[in-house]
Amino acid sequence: MAHEILRIQKTYGRDSFAIVSTGQLLTEEFYTLGKPARGCIGTNNYDGNTTLCMSSAVSGYKRSFGSDGPPGNYKDFEHTDCLIAWGSNLPEQHPIIYWRMKEAQEKRNFPLIVVDPRVTMLAQNADMHLAITPGTDVVLQNALMHVILDEGLEDRDYIAANCADFELMEKEVQKYDPVSASKICGIDEDTIRNVARLYANADAAMSIWTMGINQSTHGSDGVVGINNLNLITGNIGKAGGTSLSITGQCNAMGTREWSSCSGLPGYRVLEKPEDSEEIDKFWGIDAEFFPKQRGLTETDIFPAIETGQIKGLWLIATNPMTSMANTERIRKTLEKLDFLVVQDSYADVETTQYAHLYLPAATWAEKEGVFTNTERRVNIVRKVTDAPGESQADLWIFNEVAKRFENGSKIKFPQALSDVFDEMCELSKGRLLDISGMSHDKIEAQRGIQWPYTSEEADRGVEPPAGGKRLYTEAGTFRYADGKAKLIPLPFIDNNEVPDDDYPLWLNTGRLVEHFHTRTKTGKVGNNKYSPIPFMEINPDAAQELGIVHSEYVRCISRRGDAVVMAMCTQRVPENMIFIPFHFHDCVNRLTLGLLDPHSRQPAFKQSAVRVECVEDQQATAQMSMEMRGF
Amino acid sequence: MINVRSDEPEYAFLWDKQSKTHNRYGASIETVFEADELRDKSLDINDDVGIGDNPNRYKQHGFFLNIDNCIGCHACEAACSEKNDNPAHIAFRSVGFVEGGSFPAYQRLNISMACNHCDDTVCLKGCPTRAYTKFAEYGAVLQDPDICFGCGYCTWVCPYNAPQLDPVKGQVTKCNMCADRLEVGLKPACVAACLGNALDFGVIENIPEGRSQAKTEIPGFPRTDITHPNIRFQQTRSTHREMTRTDSTPLKYHRDDKAGMFKPAVDEKHGRERYWNWKILLSSHENAHAIFTLLSQAVMGAFVLLVIGSLFGSLAVAAPLQQLKESSAWLPLLGILVALMGFGLFKLNMHLGKPHRFYRGFYNLRHSPVSREIAGVSLFFASLSGFALMSLFDHKIAHWLVVLFSITGVLGAALGSWYMYKLYRIPARPFWDHWQTGSAFYETMLSLGSLLIAVVATAINGIDAPLLQLLAVICATGVALENIAHWFHARDLKQAGNEGAAAHYEQTTTFGKTYRLRNALLGVNLLLLITLAAAGASMPGLIATALLPAMLLLAAYTSRILFYALVIPTTMPGAFFWKNEGFVEHARETGLAEMEQMGVVYEGHHKFRLDELLQTIREASFKEMRSQFARIFTG
Repeated sequence: MAHEILRIQKTYGRDSFAIVSTGQLLTEEFYTLGKPARGCIGTNNYDGNTTLCMSSAVSGYKRSFGSDGPPGNYKDFEHTDCLIAWGSNLPEQHPIIYWRMKEAQEKRNFPLIVVDPRVTMLAQNADMHLAITPGTDVVLQNALMHVILDEGLEDRDYIAANCADFELMEKEVQKYDPVSASKICGIDEDTIRNVARLYANADAAMSIWTMGINQSTHGSDGVVGINNLNLITGNIGKAGGTSLSITGQCNAMGTREWSSCSGLPGYRVLEKPEDSEEIDKFWGIDAEFFPKQRGLTETDIFPAIETGQIKGLWLIATNPMTSMANTERIRKTLEKLDFLVVQDSYADVETTQYAHLYLPAATWAEKEGVFTNTERRVNIVRKVTDAPGESQADLWIFNEVAKRFENGSKIKFPQALSDVFDEMCELSKGRLLDISGMSHDKIEAQRGIQWPYTSEEADRGVEPPAGGKRLYTEAGTFRYADGKAKLIPLPFIDNNEVPDDDYPLWLNTGRLVEHFHTRTKTGKVGNNKYSPIPFMEINPDAAQELGIVHSEYVRCISRRGDAVVMAMCTQRVPENMIFIPFHFHDCVNRLTLGLLDPHSRQPAFKQSAVRVECVEDQQATAQMSMEMRGF
Repeated sequence: MINVRSDEPEYAFLWDKQSKTHNRYGASIETVFEADELRDKSLDINDDVGIGDNPNRYKQHGFFLNIDNCIGCHACEAACSEKNDNPAHIAFRSVGFVEGGSFPAYQRLNISMACNHCDDTVCLKGCPTRAYTKFAEYGAVLQDPDICFGCGYCTWVCPYNAPQLDPVKGQVTKCNMCADRLEVGLKPACVAACLGNALDFGVIENIPEGRSQAKTEIPGFPRTDITHPNIRFQQTRSTHREMTRTDSTPLKYHRDDKAGMFKPAVDEKHGRERYWNWKILLSSHENAHAIFTLLSQAVMGAFVLLVIGSLFGSLAVAAPLQQLKESSAWLPLLGILVALMGFGLFKLNMHLGKPHRFYRGFYNLRHSPVSREIAGVSLFFASLSGFALMSLFDHKIAHWLVVLFSITGVLGAALGSWYMYKLYRIPARPFWDHWQTGSAFYETMLSLGSLLIAVVATAINGIDAPLLQLLAVICATGVALENIAHWFHARDLKQAGNEGAAAHYEQTTTFGKTYRLRNALLGVNLLLLITLAAAGASMPGLIATALLPAMLLLAAYTSRILFYALVIPTTMPGAFFWKNEGFVEHARETGLAEMEQMGVVYEGHHKFRLDELLQTIREASFKEMRSQFARIFTG
């Protein structure tokens, strides 16, 4: 493997070999991957598949607050007086967080407002459901702020003490009166005013969001919009008032914090020389080895393969053949690679069909390490069983790969996991994500510890609280140099592929509770039976017009390709929209466009246009659908 | 006793402080009173002799489902399947849903359902092997798969689809209330796993904290009067007037404002088009039942006719039958009756999940119509065989035995046929629960019984016009009766508006052409029979004679496979894939079922494990056998 990487780099340049990792590994492994990736191979084209799920949240947090790091926690549900869920369907996406929310709601019965174009379980059970036009969240956010500012409901003291650029934002927001906004976002003006007043007048109001915001051409803006809304109403850093991104993958937070994708460990960035210097020294490598600025994201790495700048790729626990938009394009892209390494727990993951080398990796519980959740809680997984066959822990693989490079002899690669964790603790000292007070045993004893928890606190004998820790609780402590959060104006640019005469339906994609990501895990086990083959939710009225029969196969067509699904007629979706879960291989992502967010480079999976056709030969279609479900 | 984890969360523990004395149906909540001999016994779970210290051990418990809160996350099902180590195609608990309204005022009600551990245990009463026990402990209805022989009758009688017949293992298993967890004060695994705060559990009629209702009706839940189920619901959010099912069952639920509850109604999901669908009918797993019932009814009918014939042999009307007895066709006829009956019984037995456990079919004579049917049919078969055997001998004792066997044979036929009919009178299966089932069965005895005699007699003796005319009259009586009964059946089903009406809808659409053919055959057959009866050996009579055997058989077989294929039970609504009959059929047809994780398996036949039977015989002591036999009668 090392030989091939070096060959490619020698011929085509250091950045011609790219690495795409994941949110699936343990944090120590993410940290260790940084060593071969940044320190040995030294490619600048190293990113995580979190670009498909959380990069808009990361980018939005950074733009507003000066750093990534969700400021709230799950206890906020117990203190809030108003909760808006933006494109977040907790019961299906995050059922355990849903339970925390439900427990809190049953105790205090705060109003729940759900913004979602589809009647999800959460939307159905919400006090108010705002069935928004896809891709127009920023318009709604601006309109809400328009009403708040217009009626003087903002928290002037908080803004003065904590926010910069208020006037810039105010000027933009003035353009979005509820009447005009309602025409774009599909939410009537009275509802906009009602929600704005409710949110602004609540003692504490919070917003949560997931892919409905993130996977959009204005995903980062949507996050900033939520932050803006919370900042002007003084709802950051207080109990029950927060912007809480509900994280996608089990350890998306771990990769954001420590993996060196898009930067360096511990929320360090390549663009700051002092950050690079710290890591250079700590790892013991040449100061000039790191690039000076961030390289390509996952979604830009694939086009770079397409155009020949990148010749080799190392995929770690991610399955772009199913997860990326426009599958047929990705297929052609992967075919072009000189050298593709796939490292995964599953040998039959669809991407391996293009791999030149497969590295079998252990999965969680076959190895040990920590991970971080949405509320910045670091928790630990212990090993309960050996990994099957020849598979090895990812940590072991990273160490072995690194050893085969020149810098591999300079960098220390502790074998003991606790020593790796100690390195992270050391590097976290004095930073926002200070974990230096933690140790594996302490984490287990406390059943997880939220960062920051410093060694200084630990030395003083301060026990970490069971929960409820927040960021930015003191005035003017945001991570920009002036300590203030930025209020960023959000002009709305409608660049989505909207339905037209040829492709008259919105295509919305999303998650099912019974499947995890690209079904590498859940397609093989019993809970697969709840949705064993791909299906499409379509409004019965639309179905009738098209002659589509419930439970029959249909063909969906977009400008990219087609997909076969079984039709499920339900009033859960409006007449001009279909919903197809994203989990299935060779299915909905054959249709999606996936325009990229300019800030986060996250694809807009949820806004494409399609048409649906009946299929004459049901038998043959069933056969084809079945063939595509093989592993 | 199982270990209670040191960090077991509070919500996993049972909460009942007080309880009522009687449930809403008037039954005592205390299952057995103090000092009852059933108290202080170990449940012997996994050979654990310990006795739990749950203070409510002798109170009827039940599930509580707050349907306002169920999010359909499947956590309950996953916890259940994990604890009971169930394969993908078996689930003691399932979540289905009904939906209503139009976007965005759309509503989906998820319904999570397992066993309701009913007061009136139709499963226990139906099971011929006595595999079921209603325990004093928690009022749990438990089933022992080691006793079960896989007939699946409990799955027919249960209105909630609680018992699960595993086509792979050939046995039934079901929810066991997690009695091991109750013993240490923990709620069942499904309840402890619930993420929506929807599912709860406790002493029946107790309302959990923070809940206000304990209803027994929600849209989609079958009627409660059949079994008095121990489940209570909360459902406070207003629902739409009409709630539909996403599965293939042509049923929806319509709110009856006067009654204040939802009632099932036909949902004409696939229009009014008529089809044949022979493939579905001919490949039905219930074909064994169709063959058995048809053959046994034909043989019983023929035998009874022959016995009556010899009884009234002196009367002119019965003379042809008396003559038949004295002809060379008599012994072959008896031989054929024995062979057909034997074949029918063989087909039925081999259709069991565990055919080598056939002897357990008698175990529940006290309650089960199936046991009584098996007893009656067995008595009949033994008598028929004895009758045939003794007819070979021309000796006084043999003559005397023939008389004895004709008496026991008629008695066996009477019992067997009656309970064969009674066992289909299942309230949870409205299509069957009608007197027409009985009339159809007795009609078969008359028509196929006469046909059987006529065919054998004609084949051996040639055309015997008086005999054929007599049999034609008997047969015509049966066919006429069936024509009338079908009219009443269809009328009553349509009026009922329930699962029976849905079955009638399927009858006139999915199998509409087959149904019409059957009806036409019944009419034509009646005309042919009348022709034969009137015309005797003339040309029209001979034509009728030539046509009738095939026509009668076709009508009887079509009728009977429709009978099995059409029944729609009062089960819970399914989901789009899981617990959707339509998808199960699709998965089997396309081969999707070959993937284990689809949760669909093929219907299979099971081996007669002679080794297991011999082992049972070897290992059972005589005393055990005797006490087992005694319990057949003592219960």
